[in-house]
Amino acid sequence: MIRVPGIGRVPPEATRVAMRLAAVLILGIVLTALSSVFLRAANLMNVLRQAALLFFMSSGLTLVVLTAGLDLSIGATVALAACVAGTIVKGSDSVWLGAATALGIGAGVGLLNGMMVSLLRIPSFIATYGMLWVLQGLAYTYMAGTTVYGFPSALRRLGNGYLLGVPIPVIVMTGLLAVGTGFAQRTVWGQQIAMIGANPVAARLSGVPIKRRLILVYVLSGLAAGFAALVYLARLNSAEADIGSSLTLPAIAAVLIGGASLFGGVGTLAGTFIGALILTLVLNGMNLLHVDGNWQPLVTGVIIVAAVWLDLRGQATGR
Amino acid sequence: MTRISAMALALVLGAAAGQSAQADGEKIAVLTKNQTNPFFQAERVGAAKAAASMHATVLQYVPTQADSIAEQLSEIDDVITKKADAVVIAPVDYKAIVPGIQKINAAKIPVVNVTDRSSGGDFVSFVGADDHTIAKKTAEALLKAIGGKGEVIVLEGVRGTATAQDRLRGFKDALAEFPNVKLVASQPANYQRLQAMQVMENLLQANPNVAGVLAANDTMAIGAMDALSEAGSKALITGINGSKEAVDAIKAGKMLASGDYNGFVQGCIGAMIALRHLRHEETPKQVTQPTVVITKDNLAPYDVPLDQRQCPSWDEVPKS
Repeated sequence: MIRVPGIGRVPPEATRVAMRLAAVLILGIVLTALSSVFLRAANLMNVLRQAALLFFMSSGLTLVVLTAGLDLSIGATVALAACVAGTIVKGSDSVWLGAATALGIGAGVGLLNGMMVSLLRIPSFIATYGMLWVLQGLAYTYMAGTTVYGFPSALRRLGNGYLLGVPIPVIVMTGLLAVGTGFAQRTVWGQQIAMIGANPVAARLSGVPIKRRLILVYVLSGLAAGFAALVYLARLNSAEADIGSSLTLPAIAAVLIGGASLFGGVGTLAGTFIGALILTLVLNGMNLLHVDGNWQPLVTGVIIVAAVWLDLRGQATGR
Repeated sequence: MTRISAMALALVLGAAAGQSAQADGEKIAVLTKNQTNPFFQAERVGAAKAAASMHATVLQYVPTQADSIAEQLSEIDDVITKKADAVVIAPVDYKAIVPGIQKINAAKIPVVNVTDRSSGGDFVSFVGADDHTIAKKTAEALLKAIGGKGEVIVLEGVRGTATAQDRLRGFKDALAEFPNVKLVASQPANYQRLQAMQVMENLLQANPNVAGVLAANDTMAIGAMDALSEAGSKALITGINGSKEAVDAIKAGKMLASGDYNGFVQGCIGAMIALRHLRHEETPKQVTQPTVVITKDNLAPYDVPLDQRQCPSWDEVPKS
């Protein structure tokens, strides 16, 4: 059992991930029963590929949430990084230059966020909320209402390519999930990050360099958003200034459905991956069954609340 | 933030229009819905060009949060405080905007309504295109091109908005004329590219043999187009707006058609009417643009960058 301020005790991570896997399984069984095409390999790959973009954004966010912080600027970071990197790829025909730009913008935004949170002690949701507006303003001014589109196939492969029948975004997602899980759970830095959120006093007393670790998680969150911007460009072959506004809330939802606590110290990348998968499955199922799209936000909201409720219930029975 | 970005945008547009606005001319406020849709960018450039050629100044107001009615209402307060001489507005929400319009009326500032017709308030004139007709004619072009038979998918806009409702009605009316066409799915993708792509990918799993896709705007059409071409589908696709991106796709043979909604001309005419009204010249109560379905055969006039397009002369404006 882990103690979470404001929530109390929650079951161990492994139990929580297992509970969520069971939820995915049930969802899968229901969809298989209702739709003849759901279980086909092509559709499952399609779902995983759609989940990948969401996972890239919510992976870095998971680390931020582990420190009891929140990064509301991810969507706007994706938008600015995609617009600037997109125009640079168009202008120079160099995918590498574009990639460096997207990741550089992501890391730069993350560094600023991290410094506001750690050095200036501005609450993260305010610092990153302010950053959201700044980045949106920059993206709007930069694009002036235009759309950048039509990228070289070298870039597009990152979004649409396959390796041994598996979509490249899915392969990258698997790699990121493995490396990220190793970092968060097996390294000293990773454990220090969780400790900052779980018990900041103990973290300080045991000599954790809190400020540097905080800056690190926001830089990683920014980098993840910068990478998501590249995948967005590769997938959609275009970008405009406003693409970020519809990306942030699903990313936060994936982290919460994945079992991370906004009070810090609790959360895993595996959980976040499952959270992204559940959100994607809901859309896929609704489209396959031709359910009116207006129900989708409602269902997402119910799932977020249900996921947290299940954790609390697990706490009651696990005592 | 809104004001800063709007001012920055006005500067950019001023540069795009290639003319410096005269500070002693009339000052008209142009309120559009968002920075996202190229349609409104075209509308802003059109208004700026018309105003510049009539030696007036344009103040552009665009919500930072796309389609935010709250922001548009506070922009109206700003316009009134700054005492703009006239207002040209594309309302974000045709019902919720009414109290804002009444405020402008109370401040005795003349207003021209463009694009989406407000459900209340007093206007000098309404300049728009008929969404229902555009959607119907675009859909008819697609349904004819697929030979009047096969499966069709509709990608809807944001439910509850006037444009989405009228376009969906137009699509349905066209479908009713082709009894051998089967509408297999009609799902909203909220005018968004990523959503259109994902919804299309999902629908293609269940309906791989779809013959045509009717998207309620170009952005969704192009998102769906990528999903279709990747799945190896030969489905024909149409959008609405006549955006540059869609015109390029039509030229490349990847998209069949786009219903022309000509934001540039709407912006031109909106600003012209506002200025003519201020100068006590006659103005029509309503201007409805003729519907054009842009295809490979007639795309030449649309294949011109915004800043090189010319506003119609007053004689060319249809006055009805």
